[in-house]
Amino acid sequence: MSSGPLLELASVTKRFGSIVVADSLSLILRGGDAVGIVGPNGAGKTSLFALISGDLSPNSGEVRFEGRPVTRLDPAARCRLGIARTYQVPRSFEHMTVFENVLVAAHRGAGLRGGEATDLAASVLEETHLHEEANWPASRLSLLQRKRLELARALGTGPRLLLLDEVAAGLTEPEVAGLVQVVEGIRARGIGVIWVEHVVRALVGLVDRLICLAGGRFIGDGEPLAVLATPAVKEVFLGTSYGEGNSS
Amino acid sequence: MTDTAAVGGRQRVTRSRRSAAWGALVGVVVVAILFSLPYLVYANVTGVLVNLFILVSLATMWNLLAGYAGLISVGQQAYIGVGAYAVFVLAGDGISPFLAIPLAALISALVGLPASFLLLRLRREYFAIATWVVAEAFQLVVVRSNSLGAGAGAPLPGMVGLDPALRQAFTYWAALAVAVAALLGTYLLLRSRLGLDLTAVRDNEVGARSVGVRVVRAKRIVYLVAAAGAGAAGAVLVISQLFVQPTAVFTVQWSAYMIFVALIGGLGSIEGPIVGTVIFFLLQQTLADRGAWYLIVLGAVAVLMAMWVPRGLWGLISDRFGIRLFPVGYWLHGMNPPATGPGPKTESPQA
Repeated sequence: MSSGPLLELASVTKRFGSIVVADSLSLILRGGDAVGIVGPNGAGKTSLFALISGDLSPNSGEVRFEGRPVTRLDPAARCRLGIARTYQVPRSFEHMTVFENVLVAAHRGAGLRGGEATDLAASVLEETHLHEEANWPASRLSLLQRKRLELARALGTGPRLLLLDEVAAGLTEPEVAGLVQVVEGIRARGIGVIWVEHVVRALVGLVDRLICLAGGRFIGDGEPLAVLATPAVKEVFLGTSYGEGNSS
Repeated sequence: MTDTAAVGGRQRVTRSRRSAAWGALVGVVVVAILFSLPYLVYANVTGVLVNLFILVSLATMWNLLAGYAGLISVGQQAYIGVGAYAVFVLAGDGISPFLAIPLAALISALVGLPASFLLLRLRREYFAIATWVVAEAFQLVVVRSNSLGAGAGAPLPGMVGLDPALRQAFTYWAALAVAVAALLGTYLLLRSRLGLDLTAVRDNEVGARSVGVRVVRAKRIVYLVAAAGAGAAGAVLVISQLFVQPTAVFTVQWSAYMIFVALIGGLGSIEGPIVGTVIFFLLQQTLADRGAWYLIVLGAVAVLMAMWVPRGLWGLISDRFGIRLFPVGYWLHGMNPPATGPGPKTESPQA
């Protein structure tokens, strides 16, 4: 792969009326990077994801993937180029089997057909520990299994950049640990990962770069522990938790 | 089409859990028997079956729209009309009405293309209402056209001089061919990669988009196929009635029938519309001379089915016995079947 950046955001701004969810954000990500994004509720984390995946289009600025502008492409087109995402609330295809859920991704996202597509789908199910449930209808899965299916489906598209939106939310600690292990395997394959998570602990062990987002701006960016130790980041997190403590 | 594929050298993927060969055999036998009926029974029986085949074709297309692409249309009569008038015009130019049927289907799809750009920008109830508006607009155009017989209609040319027995047999075979084509076409479409796309779009459009499915393109293809199917059915309709009239072909009643049949038979399965049409015709035959009671019973059946059997009669049958005549899914062998319940792909109550 070329040495150019995998993903580039150049002064990306998104407003909803007077509310600015992304305030001239710029970001460069290289292949194989694993970046964590933290921030208080309403900081613009999910909006940032939507801007990268194409679910939202910016008011100004540009998104480039592998050097190519993708700002005007819809999510399906960006997915076919190699940007895959998971959703915080799983968007499973309820009446299809787990295998079929992933097979759609292999057909359309990865552009494969026939045996190549079924091969990829089967191997992804194994990687995400869902192969035992391959023939189950998705409607029968538990929350953890649905989160795994989100991950499996995203992997089925053959991504080079994977956006994980709160995959650990709502899971128990051992479940989170199992998931982190799967993500580590994905990262080891050279797939770039951006992971938005409330469970900061899940991130710190895995990512080599942490970005803190507040009010639609980056207020910290760098080595995870160092970022968490900066005054601005501390103030945002402690400030919010004090505020919450006082109001309850 | 390759049915199996080696996966990682160990697993095998087929299109259904068990072999579907017997299903294909049943289909061939049934079609063969139906094909030979004009030699065996009186024309009044085949006459009823012509209407049954028309409704099977229409309901199959409506099921494809609603049950797979999630497009609720109350305006498919637009293409029944386009198909009917296409045959009328082509027959006027000296083309045999029977040969005009595939052309009528093609013309319906072509007319549907610009309409699809308008309609697919809309969602749910807005889409539904707009389809009806399109149908009404088509009817108004026909009513204003004297060359199409305007509001009074016109007899279908090209059918005189044909022996009535032969004409009825040809009409029957044409109706059967259209119904078989509609069912087989739907089956092949759903087995293709596009079929899986459609089911994904129906289940979760945002999810489908996020894995690379071209959602609007998939919907457009289905809309055009459904237009072609309704057009072919409309062509058969005008051939069987020998007369074309705007109020008969463009009536919203057609959509009511399609919806009724698809709902009682079971939405989202190929078998459903067949079962639904048979039930509908049984009700019609037994209640035909009971006046208003016919509509009251029909309405009551629809309400009760919607409340207690939301997946229709075929849904009930296939859940109970695990039968699927037209397998369109995938089965990964060497894996566990679902832990509980009857079989794969059954909906759970919370879904």
